[in-house]
Amino acid sequence: MSRAVSVASLSKSYGRLKALDNISFEVDEREIFGFLGPNGAGKTTAIKIMLGLTRPDKGHVEIFGIDVQSKPDRARENIGYVSQNLSLSNEITGYENLLISAKLYGVPSSIRKSRITEIMDLLGIQDRANDLVKKYSGGMMRRLEIGAALVHRPRLLILDEPTIGLDPQVRLVVRELLRRLVDEFGITIFLTTHDMGEADELCEKIAIINSGKIGVVDTPTNLKRSVGGDSIQFETKAPEKALSILTGKFGDTKPIAKNNTISMIVNSAETALPLLINTLTRAGVIVDAIHSHRPTLDDVFLKYAGSRLTDVEREGDYSHVKQVRRTFRRMR
Amino acid sequence: MFAILEKTAVIWELELRKMRHDQTDLLIRAIQPVLWLTIFGSVFRQFRELPLGEVSYLSFITPGVLAQSVLFIAIFTGVSLVWERDLGQLDRLLAAPAPRTSIVLGKAFSGGVKGLFQAGVIFAIAFVMGVDLIYNPIYVLAVIGVVFTFGVCFSSMSIFVTTLLNTRERVMGMMQLLTMPLFFASNALYPIEIMPRWLQIVSIINPMSYVVEALRALMITGDLSRLPVALGGMAIATFIFIGAAALAFRRVGR
Repeated sequence: MSRAVSVASLSKSYGRLKALDNISFEVDEREIFGFLGPNGAGKTTAIKIMLGLTRPDKGHVEIFGIDVQSKPDRARENIGYVSQNLSLSNEITGYENLLISAKLYGVPSSIRKSRITEIMDLLGIQDRANDLVKKYSGGMMRRLEIGAALVHRPRLLILDEPTIGLDPQVRLVVRELLRRLVDEFGITIFLTTHDMGEADELCEKIAIINSGKIGVVDTPTNLKRSVGGDSIQFETKAPEKALSILTGKFGDTKPIAKNNTISMIVNSAETALPLLINTLTRAGVIVDAIHSHRPTLDDVFLKYAGSRLTDVEREGDYSHVKQVRRTFRRMR
Repeated sequence: MFAILEKTAVIWELELRKMRHDQTDLLIRAIQPVLWLTIFGSVFRQFRELPLGEVSYLSFITPGVLAQSVLFIAIFTGVSLVWERDLGQLDRLLAAPAPRTSIVLGKAFSGGVKGLFQAGVIFAIAFVMGVDLIYNPIYVLAVIGVVFTFGVCFSSMSIFVTTLLNTRERVMGMMQLLTMPLFFASNALYPIEIMPRWLQIVSIINPMSYVVEALRALMITGDLSRLPVALGGMAIATFIFIGAAALAFRRVGR
């Protein structure tokens, strides 16, 4: 199978902030590859470098064997890009947006019309083609956005948080569309997300990224298997004490505490649960609540990034997501 | 080179399509020159001391008001560019295989077209107010050319300044700061001869003076003796600003 994307030891700093720290990965043709990480992990920076919009401090990127640094426009011809923001002009119609995209990417005038009709059909927005985009719903805008990135039949589609700010049912529509693009048209997809469900459901391969570093790259199944057991979470009023008692006793994954909740990975919850409660009770630590589950990508994230994605998300810079959502509303 | 022109046309088309769907902006902007001519012009025509030769004051300032309204509309090209960048709309253009210069040129050309709308409005008002304009088609065509070029020139200047300053707030402030001297240190409202000596020197390096001079020759006096100088000055300013804008814009995502 040939390589769609090949990224080699990429680093990029903004002042003292290391946005990307020596990351490398490869995306095979016809696969959906996901960058999973919290906001501020370096996902958008990676995309900007892949598009040749930002110059890396070190390392290089090839898109279908084309070096992005030296031949940005040739690389871009092969890429359809859907940004996190709404990048279409909302003061013109959906049809006009597709037309401009087609011209921008040099689609020959003889096939422009048929190509646009084809995409409108695919997206199911034919009947709204001549409406101004600002009258579209958020989901239609997002679909049109993806459509505009497809008019030149790119071999690679890059999407930055494709379902951010969308309602659950619209998310589903967008995910189905992406799946179809790979299955029916043989497109390769690179996407970023901070939504574990999305990564799990959609991606064939996932790179866990946090603070500019890639923790691991593998299939969701392998990743979950690699966690090697069950995930246990319990609540106690003495988390520090519990941590010091448990460290080293259950598997090799370090338990981590977040407020009064402690998360850990064990080989088997069935045998570990009674042992855990007994050990803690004997040491005088009272367990207020406990539950266990089969590993999820969040547990994978815990293992490879050293924190829970949900936690980072809560603490991390969430304002940007809010900003995007506000933009969404304003444009609607 | 061909790629630049081809993609410039696409960006230009995008801007024109936006304009076609939303004409309120153009209509609102048409009000200002009306006010200049009806209020400012009507009051200041009472002063008889200005050395205008045989030209009435209203005729004298009509080209000046045209130049000013084109200046004001062109200056916002840069502001809309920062706005689009902040919304993320610019990323779409930058991620496309289009030379960066074509984005600058496409935007600047749209500024030129907006200027032409202003010219249309001012011709209409001036006609209604009884200003004695030259309606010779060749002269009118030349006016169209001058206005378009001027729109491109100041749109480029605005893109250049925007790219250097980066934030919307700074850009707005800077544009306010720039438009005042450009307008008042020119021959738009009064002849250069009555200015103090230092201001006369400023007006010589002010591209606005050359534009007004060209427009005045083509619309009112019909005296073409200084036209080559005026067009030359304008052409130089246009080239400088397009070049500066294109160079500066390279920093915004290669």
